Amino acid sequence: MSRTNTTARRIGTVIAFTLMLLGSLTMVLPFLWMLSTSLKSSRLVFDFPPQWIPDPIDWANYVEVWNVVPLATGLLNSAIVTTLVVVVGTFSSTMAAFAFAKLDFPQKRALFVALLATMMVPVVVLIIPQFMIYAEIGWIDTLLPLFVPGLLGNVAMIFFLRQYMLGLASELLEAARLDGAGFFRIYWSIFLPLCKPAIAANVIIVFMATWNDYLGPLIFTNSPQNATVQLVIASFSAFHAEQTDYPMVMAASVIAVLPVVILFVVLQRYFVDSLASSGIKG
Amino acid sequence: MTTSTPRRASSMRRHERLWGLAFVTPIAVQALLFCVIPVGIAVYAGFTNWNGLSGRRDFIGFANFGEFLTDKYFWIASGNTVVMLVPIPFYLFFGILLALGAHRGTPGSGVFRTLFFLPYISSIVALVVLWKWIFNYQYGLVNQGLALVGIQGPDWLGDPAWIKTTIVLMIGWKLIGITSIYILAALKNIPPTYYEAARIDGASTLRQFFQITLPMLTPAIFFLTVIGVIGSLQTFVEVQLFTSSGGPDYSAATITYYIWQKAFGSNELGLASATATFFALVLLAVTLIQLRLSRRWVFEGE
Repeated sequence: MSRTNTTARRIGTVIAFTLMLLGSLTMVLPFLWMLSTSLKSSRLVFDFPPQWIPDPIDWANYVEVWNVVPLATGLLNSAIVTTLVVVVGTFSSTMAAFAFAKLDFPQKRALFVALLATMMVPVVVLIIPQFMIYAEIGWIDTLLPLFVPGLLGNVAMIFFLRQYMLGLASELLEAARLDGAGFFRIYWSIFLPLCKPAIAANVIIVFMATWNDYLGPLIFTNSPQNATVQLVIASFSAFHAEQTDYPMVMAASVIAVLPVVILFVVLQRYFVDSLASSGIKG
Repeated sequence: MTTSTPRRASSMRRHERLWGLAFVTPIAVQALLFCVIPVGIAVYAGFTNWNGLSGRRDFIGFANFGEFLTDKYFWIASGNTVVMLVPIPFYLFFGILLALGAHRGTPGSGVFRTLFFLPYISSIVALVVLWKWIFNYQYGLVNQGLALVGIQGPDWLGDPAWIKTTIVLMIGWKLIGITSIYILAALKNIPPTYYEAARIDGASTLRQFFQITLPMLTPAIFFLTVIGVIGSLQTFVEVQLFTSSGGPDYSAATITYYIWQKAFGSNELGLASATATFFALVLLAVTLIQLRLSRRWVFEGE
């Protein structure tokens, strides 16, 4: 009885392993192809059967791409927008999360529910009036619409961090109050450090959303010097795909994807754990 | 002492209220300026002939609503938008499969899980650029692979019958990884005692899956379905990047794409606002219906 069970379990493991391996290949092969193409000289691109490891490996695309498209400008704009939103926005979001979790103030519940309701509004409803407002105050074709809203916080992050802080002991707050600490100090030196794992997870999400955003830059900016990296890649590909200069386009894409991948690999542990614990209770 | 304590307590309470309000002021300002006021403007603009070029803003009643509801392209876009729901069962199925594999401790699960995230963390722009290359009719990896086994692959991007399939495949592929993480979290929350009891009763593995695992996963599946539907019905960026002007015969255009074209292509801001308002109400209704139906299939716990 137990013997057939072990055999069955082993067969199950083999099947599961095979399925997961196949699945992973489906996920990774396109990216390997992206990398492979980016390291080819143009004449090797249409070879059949395809060369997965180019011979010779040609780094020239990574050198030339900077001269062909305003990639440096795009990266700089994206870096400015993303840094501001992640740093200042995390500050605003954690403060609000702390207040919602641990402090008592008028209309707390109503405000929290209202914030959750704003998440339900479809983006397409907001962009038209936002465009009208920005046009009125001269923000169109500047980076301002891309980062100013984000400086004030992020509702999803507030929601996650509030959940997390509700799990921290309120006695910490009372004890610090008795010692004469102010509310800002309690937030800054007690609760903020305790939330590090949850903050790390949310930093990935906000970084990803801001760095990868295409809709905002598409609608609110139009001149090349205000383009973010996503806009640069999109217009580069639209222009160059017709001329089939795929290696160059792929090299630009690899450069655009790299920052998020690096951040993800570094903070991945927090990301998976945090989503797992604060997402949904089964 | 006896007189100062209540006074101190009340000043402390006042402090707490002030700091609480101060801490939530930024996000409240954001909600007001970038959401509440815009929604008000959108609803109002929907009843005007607001036009980006002429600057006219006359009140015209329900005329905009009549205009898009009788527009052939609006209905084509609506049909395409419904098709964008197809990836949901696709990534739920594979996400559950992957989560089950990771949960039973299959060797290499950690590495596999990281790899499954690659499409999720990459920007849609990069993904579309990559897919356009891989699904290229003549030189793409996919069609070359199909040719190897004697199949002439379709024109994934240019054929009106295939472009939606390509988009659906890409969205499904992108979201398997994140889905599996949510499912895995739900799997970890199932009390092991349930399985022990089932084993004592002699229930087979298959029976355990359908009697314990699946019912216990329904809240997670429900959550993922609700946010999946809201997201899928708003599909836009993929369409904008994969096609020019919505694809051949408007075959890939979604409602959000239709609205974007009206607003920023032909400057009909009033008409676009009316369509967007109507669409928001439809989304709200769809979500409420799902919440109602959930009582029939979502396991609420003991």
